[in-house]
Amino acid sequence: MPAAREGNRALQLSDRITGLCLVALGGAAVYGATQQPGVPGQDVGPSVFPMVIGLGLIGCGALVALRVGRSFEAPDEVVPPEPGEAMAAPPRFAEWRAFLPPLLLVFYMLAVDTLGFLLVAAAITLVVCLTLGARLRLALPLAVLAPIGIHAVFVRLLRVPLPDGLLTLPW
Amino acid sequence: MTDLLEGFRLVLQGDVLIAILASAVYGLVVGSLPGLSATMATALLVPVTFYLSPIAAVATIITASAMAIFSGDIPGCLLRIPGTPASAAYTDEAYAMTRKGQAEMALGTGLWFSAVGGIAGTLALLVMAPALAEVALNFSSFEYFWLAVLGLMCATLVARSSPVKAIASMLLGLLFSCIGMENPAGTPRFTFGMTDLLGGIEPLPALVGVFAVSQVMRALAEAEPPPLPRRRFGSIMAGQWALTKKYPKPMMRGNIVGIIIGVLPGAGADMAAWVSYAMSKRFSKEPEKFGTGHPEGLVESGASNNASLASGWVPALLFGIPGDTITAIAIGVLYMKGLNPGPTLFTERASSMYALYIIFILANLIMIPLGIVMIRIAATVLRAPRASIMPVILLLCAVGAFATGNNLFAVMLVAFFGTLGYVMERNGYPVAALVLGIVMGSMVEQSFVTSLIKSDNSLLPFFERPISAVLAVVTLGALLWPVAAWLMRRLRARRPAAIAAAHRP
Repeated sequence: MPAAREGNRALQLSDRITGLCLVALGGAAVYGATQQPGVPGQDVGPSVFPMVIGLGLIGCGALVALRVGRSFEAPDEVVPPEPGEAMAAPPRFAEWRAFLPPLLLVFYMLAVDTLGFLLVAAAITLVVCLTLGARLRLALPLAVLAPIGIHAVFVRLLRVPLPDGLLTLPW
Repeated sequence: MTDLLEGFRLVLQGDVLIAILASAVYGLVVGSLPGLSATMATALLVPVTFYLSPIAAVATIITASAMAIFSGDIPGCLLRIPGTPASAAYTDEAYAMTRKGQAEMALGTGLWFSAVGGIAGTLALLVMAPALAEVALNFSSFEYFWLAVLGLMCATLVARSSPVKAIASMLLGLLFSCIGMENPAGTPRFTFGMTDLLGGIEPLPALVGVFAVSQVMRALAEAEPPPLPRRRFGSIMAGQWALTKKYPKPMMRGNIVGIIIGVLPGAGADMAAWVSYAMSKRFSKEPEKFGTGHPEGLVESGASNNASLASGWVPALLFGIPGDTITAIAIGVLYMKGLNPGPTLFTERASSMYALYIIFILANLIMIPLGIVMIRIAATVLRAPRASIMPVILLLCAVGAFATGNNLFAVMLVAFFGTLGYVMERNGYPVAALVLGIVMGSMVEQSFVTSLIKSDNSLLPFFERPISAVLAVVTLGALLWPVAAWLMRRLRARRPAAIAAAHRP
């Protein structure tokens, strides 16, 4: 594994774990399928398809857990560094920083109706921008301009009803 | 003939032309930024297409994807980081040319042969699609079932990953498509009592999550790529005509391979580029020059990935089965705009189809001047720090997902699929197979259940009809192919060992 990836190991689960997750999911799908109501006077109903998929998932999960097909896995398409070429080290807590965007999206979902699009968007921009190591000189103007720009395109041009919340644009 | 004229009239309208130009610029910029793929560029465009006329909507998708596939070559050539996965196959070669001081040549080759490939692919689409439409009129639910499964199988074959994991991803996608009321009984299935899930999982939030949010997550987890050194470019198109005359065969081979791979449901530009580069090396008179900055492979695979883009629309238009992840998005747009895919599209909406071909040709023609401008300003565009791009992408994900149904639940789905896609990618599960599973799930289920009802629960008719039998054999072949490849590799590895053992005294 190249040095640049070292910091990202935390999420590389073993095949055994992901395989067993798939088996469990497949089992749940099969169970769910058996709970489906039938269609009167007809043998095939809503349970057939999830049943087939569930069984397939159980099979694939078992194979993954047994590491079958491992030899086919091509290395990541990231080009390896050349000898002598310095690779920047990954940032600290890299693996956990990755979960910031989905959390911010959840924040957007929860807060946008009360706070309004502009404020929430500015907050999200600021957080992502600063986490990526930008200076305030870049982050602050961006946090003002990006939400206004997106607001202009989506609300004025495309008529998407983004909530106003606390802050309404004067135009 | 009147249809053709009508097609021109449809394209030569103000809003369509503006849409083409704007999406061309957008596609070029997004495609050239490392980590932002052509699929992502297209997925983020969909909310915009809601508000456009049908032809303009299709035009934005076609133009943006063609431009993004080309401009993915730019950072590959200058930074050794492919802008889109479709450029990854020949990134090393292009970068080697740059280091030899032939950056203009490498970029020009990418541009010129992308355009040539795109036009060749369009011609193939123009000839093949109506001819296949005649055949497709005879298709019943059995054939549709096998076609859809074949598409899914191809998507797992091209993944360059463990086939078992690829099939697992695909099944996971199919499982997601089971959610909702759209099933043979019309009852809520796997909705866990959530009303938001009754309508099922829309493909768009899944696509945006998997291809855009997970890229933002990746950017946060990885170090910033090195900045691009400023350089002055000489003439970009100089020498391209000489290359065309020098390598007519590789160019044609690239076009043809790209077209064939594009037509296969499920396999797209990434695959076309890898196969073509490998073929070029295999059949070249000077294979030893490959990897040292030799343009031949660039000619072939550059033509190939753009050719596959156009011909990928063949299964999409005829059967509603995506040729790749980009056409998976396009199919959604087609349905939304009342251009429902199917063989009758070519008879009933012939003028719209002509308009589509014209847009393809137009997009590939304006690619050349716009591409030259893009290459010249690439140094400036690529200098934009990630910190200024990623927040905007994230906001666009949220707003775009919301715009699909004015529903905040979609934002939640985007976050979920972003996380899922990121974790899957980290562990070697190909996400394209997941997405195609989600997109095609209801079609697979519908054709499967309808066929079973028709055949009175017998599986025999799935193999009895002639076309359906052929498709079944091909599909099962695709399923068993990895096993055969593995066995062959084992045998080959064992034979030299056995010979060596026999020769030992």
